[in-house]
Amino acid sequence: MKAPATPPQPATPAGQEGMDRRSFLRTSAVVASGMAALAASLAPLRHLTDFPSTEQFLQKYYKEMTPADMARVLKRIEDEVQKQYGLRPHVKDLKPMNGVEFVYALNLTRCIGCRKCVHACVAENNQSRNPEIQYIRVLRMPHGSMDLEKAEQNYQPESVPEKGFFYMPVQCQQCRNPACVKVCPVHATWQEPDGVTVIDYDWCIGCRYCEAACPYWARRFNFAKPSLPADRLNLDMAYLGNRPRKRGVMEKCHFCLQRTRVGRYPACLEVCPVGARKFGNVLDPESEVSYILRTKRVFIQLKEELGTSPRFFYYFDV
Amino acid sequence: MSNAQKTALVLAGTIAGFLSLALAFSLHLWGETRLPAQIALVDPALLAPTTFRTSYVQMVSAKADLADFDCYGCHEKSKPPTLRFDTNMVIIVPKEHADVVMSHGRHNRNNNCYNCHDEQNLELFQTRDGHPVKFENSPALCGSCHGPTYRDWEAGVHGRTGGYWLASAGERHRQICVDCHNPHNPKIPGRHPFPPPHPLRPNQPTAEIAAHAP
Repeated sequence: MKAPATPPQPATPAGQEGMDRRSFLRTSAVVASGMAALAASLAPLRHLTDFPSTEQFLQKYYKEMTPADMARVLKRIEDEVQKQYGLRPHVKDLKPMNGVEFVYALNLTRCIGCRKCVHACVAENNQSRNPEIQYIRVLRMPHGSMDLEKAEQNYQPESVPEKGFFYMPVQCQQCRNPACVKVCPVHATWQEPDGVTVIDYDWCIGCRYCEAACPYWARRFNFAKPSLPADRLNLDMAYLGNRPRKRGVMEKCHFCLQRTRVGRYPACLEVCPVGARKFGNVLDPESEVSYILRTKRVFIQLKEELGTSPRFFYYFDV
Repeated sequence: MSNAQKTALVLAGTIAGFLSLALAFSLHLWGETRLPAQIALVDPALLAPTTFRTSYVQMVSAKADLADFDCYGCHEKSKPPTLRFDTNMVIIVPKEHADVVMSHGRHNRNNNCYNCHDEQNLELFQTRDGHPVKFENSPALCGSCHGPTYRDWEAGVHGRTGGYWLASAGERHRQICVDCHNPHNPKIPGRHPFPPPHPLRPNQPTAEIAAHAP
């Protein structure tokens, strides 16, 4: 029997050699829609806009920078601030003075808990206004105890001081034995010879180990992009001090580096309406802080038993 | 099931996964993007390092109107005004001096104008041991009673400071007693505190608290 004539069949089954028109179209439709879906699902990445510039990415470690490197970096920061805020700041790199060790003393008898220091600090140091970042927490505690468990920071009475309470502002204690410095995995925070523990905001990786290590709740993290109206910007800036920070870096009190390293008093001290805050060089026997440590009832270094040895002393008048 | 079918299945599954992710993102199924909290800015004028009150010395340097300190515009020279006391021996402040609150010292101990003012010359003070003190030199008068505080003030430890801690860099601003203390009522008045830290995401009240809310 003769086989019937059949139309020519493809020599091999589809897929083994070449591709027919239909399966090509189908596959490409699938691939195209897959790519589109992938792109759409990665949409949240569009909000990641604050990448560092190449220049900042390749920047050297603070302690390894030559003066020429530093001049370039300061110029970059000035340019960035001008681009963002429309105002040209003056950014300095201030080095510690010889023979100076800063100490802060706070008179618990005098403090009335008005929080003026908190907001003067925010204004001086270009902290984010929304979300709020504040270096100073004023704790209200009942008379007769020094129990931090009983401390209240959100008090809001009509008038301060309130009867039966005293107030204890807490900020970075600038420890001689700082726990935060020990835990930093990238050496982005260190203690300077004048006693100020500083942070290089360009070197910080935002791991927040230091925040966990600090027993004083002194370190603040920029969870969100700091927002700061341009007319509130303080244009007198220092590299390790109050230059604007980015999202994802730590910051904290640095004893107003941009002021104190040129001989001025910190902002929180100048506005204190009752003169409860005192600051100076403890190596100078004539300074105010030396007088206080010598003659006053210096009651505590906060959490003295931890061995952090703060440079921030609380004292009483009588 | 052939290889081609398996591939198609995996591809379809992946695409469905991506599509549902994209849909979820665009519909904000993972919580809404929060609107930023409204946080009021603090008026920078409130943060000025000015003192509670304006003293005679500040008024002189500001060239302000000193008519209130011209005692002999009203009083007669060489005729010390007599003080009047009520039945409890509390001084009666004349209505011309109604702004004076006699509240210096506890238990009404400082109940006499001439404890500080010089009755023979009203434009001077006098210490308790009879030394005359000029208006612009008032800390010497205050220090004649408040010795330890005066010593602290001289050392820069009592009272407000400003300017430069480093003498070679600039001047240290000091205040005198009456820049902050009202001599007739020296206790620092209470004031409204600045706002506390803003709770970005305030705790939701529990059902129990919400039920008792007004």
